[in-house]
Amino acid sequence: MQYFALEQALNYLIQTGNLDLKPLDNKTIRFALQDLPIELNFISANGRIFVISDTERQNDVDIRLSAGVFFALFKGEDLTELLKQDKLIIHGDVKTVQCLVDLLHSVDIDLEEVLSHYTGDIIAHKAGKIAKDVKHLVQHSNNPLDALKDGLSQLLIMPTVSKLYKNNRH
Amino acid sequence: MNNTTHFGFKDVATKDKQHLVKGVFDSVASKYDLMNDVLSLGAHRLWKRYTIASSNVKTGDKVLDIAGGTGDLAIAFRQKVGKSGQVILSDINAAMLNEGRKNLINKGVFGVDFVQLNAQYLPFADNSFDCVSIAFGLRNVTDKDQALSEMHRILKPGGCLLILEFSTTDSKLLKKCYDFYSFNIMPTLGELIADDKASYQYLAESIRKHPDQETLKDRVLEAGFGFCEYHNLSGGIVALHKGIKV
Ligand SMILES: C[S@@+](CC[C@H](N)C(=O)[O-])C[C@H]1O[C@@H](n2cnc3c(N)ncnc32)[C@H](O)[C@@H]1O
Repeated sequence: MQYFALEQALNYLIQTGNLDLKPLDNKTIRFALQDLPIELNFISANGRIFVISDTERQNDVDIRLSAGVFFALFKGEDLTELLKQDKLIIHGDVKTVQCLVDLLHSVDIDLEEVLSHYTGDIIAHKAGKIAKDVKHLVQHSNNPLDALKDGLSQLLIMPTVSKLYKNNRH
Repeated sequence: MNNTTHFGFKDVATKDKQHLVKGVFDSVASKYDLMNDVLSLGAHRLWKRYTIASSNVKTGDKVLDIAGGTGDLAIAFRQKVGKSGQVILSDINAAMLNEGRKNLINKGVFGVDFVQLNAQYLPFADNSFDCVSIAFGLRNVTDKDQALSEMHRILKPGGCLLILEFSTTDSKLLKKCYDFYSFNIMPTLGELIADDKASYQYLAESIRKHPDQETLKDRVLEAGFGFCEYHNLSGGIVALHKGIKV
């Protein structure tokens, strides 16, 4: 669920013609954070992007980096510069990563916020985060009323993703 | 396939299950929407809303809703795909499909196609849908693995499968309340409102027999999907599995 807002925002931009997906066609890209139990998998297929947290599959591109570098990257830090400083390891095509990073730059979403519940009280945090997601979706939707209803539904049913659930069991 | 399978908590001959399930839905069809609202206290609308929002369906897409019953998902998909898209509402049960047709007409929704089919044998070409959904239907299907591989076959590469189904909660307290509610209150409400206790007893039992989140995820992957992730809703009482064909 924590990637819901990100996925929605990306696909909204794709649908409104503001993002060019061609360079990423059929690519799967994984960001694995070294200091947090977080994986972010971007799957570009069938003219849209899926964002999922958990996959055992081999991806086309694998990127390992710390949370700090990850957030810096999405706040506009230069990828080539970070590579030169050995701040991240990329297995796969660097150009593909650059395309995805460019794409994420056009999404006005606070990734730090999207992922930060791993460090705090999950439920209390979740409500706050969903509320922020809703505000974001309402602002960036062609149907704000629908977005608001989606957000309220989420507040009531509190979705959680598989990986989080799995971790809770052990 | 084994010679026996479960129908709720009962073991029955595999070949008989479909007929028994048909009996349940023939019996509940006319009161289905009312009972859904009463029994879930309206929550099924929120779970379905979340499913639609997670679908990534866009204008021009081709969507198949399996076991679609009275058409809640099909109605929402119709709005999403626009004039250039196509939505098919399908179900094995003629009485449920008929209720679906009435519901859509009453709501002024047109342009949805209706097909009576069994999820295990989908009469569509390979790689033809952008999204396939099944809400609260999979647990009634006799051979779930066959149904899952059929869904995989008809999806385009990059197509998305959505399975919304009752599941397993991890919270001991929630589980206790939920068990009490499903085995005591639900059948009684079924008797009072729909004059049908047995069908609602089956509903409660079939939920307990349905594979848990992790097992279903494995089965989705085994059916050929490249990715599968599930989202627990309402503490895991319901789960949305999302499979992506690569
Ligand atoms: C609980 S209802 C769900 C209806 C609707 N999707 C909803 O969420 O409100 C389950 C539906 O599954 C249908 N069904 C059962 N077995 C099926 C099968 N093998 N193939 C297709 N539909 C089936 C039933 O006829 C019934 O309409």
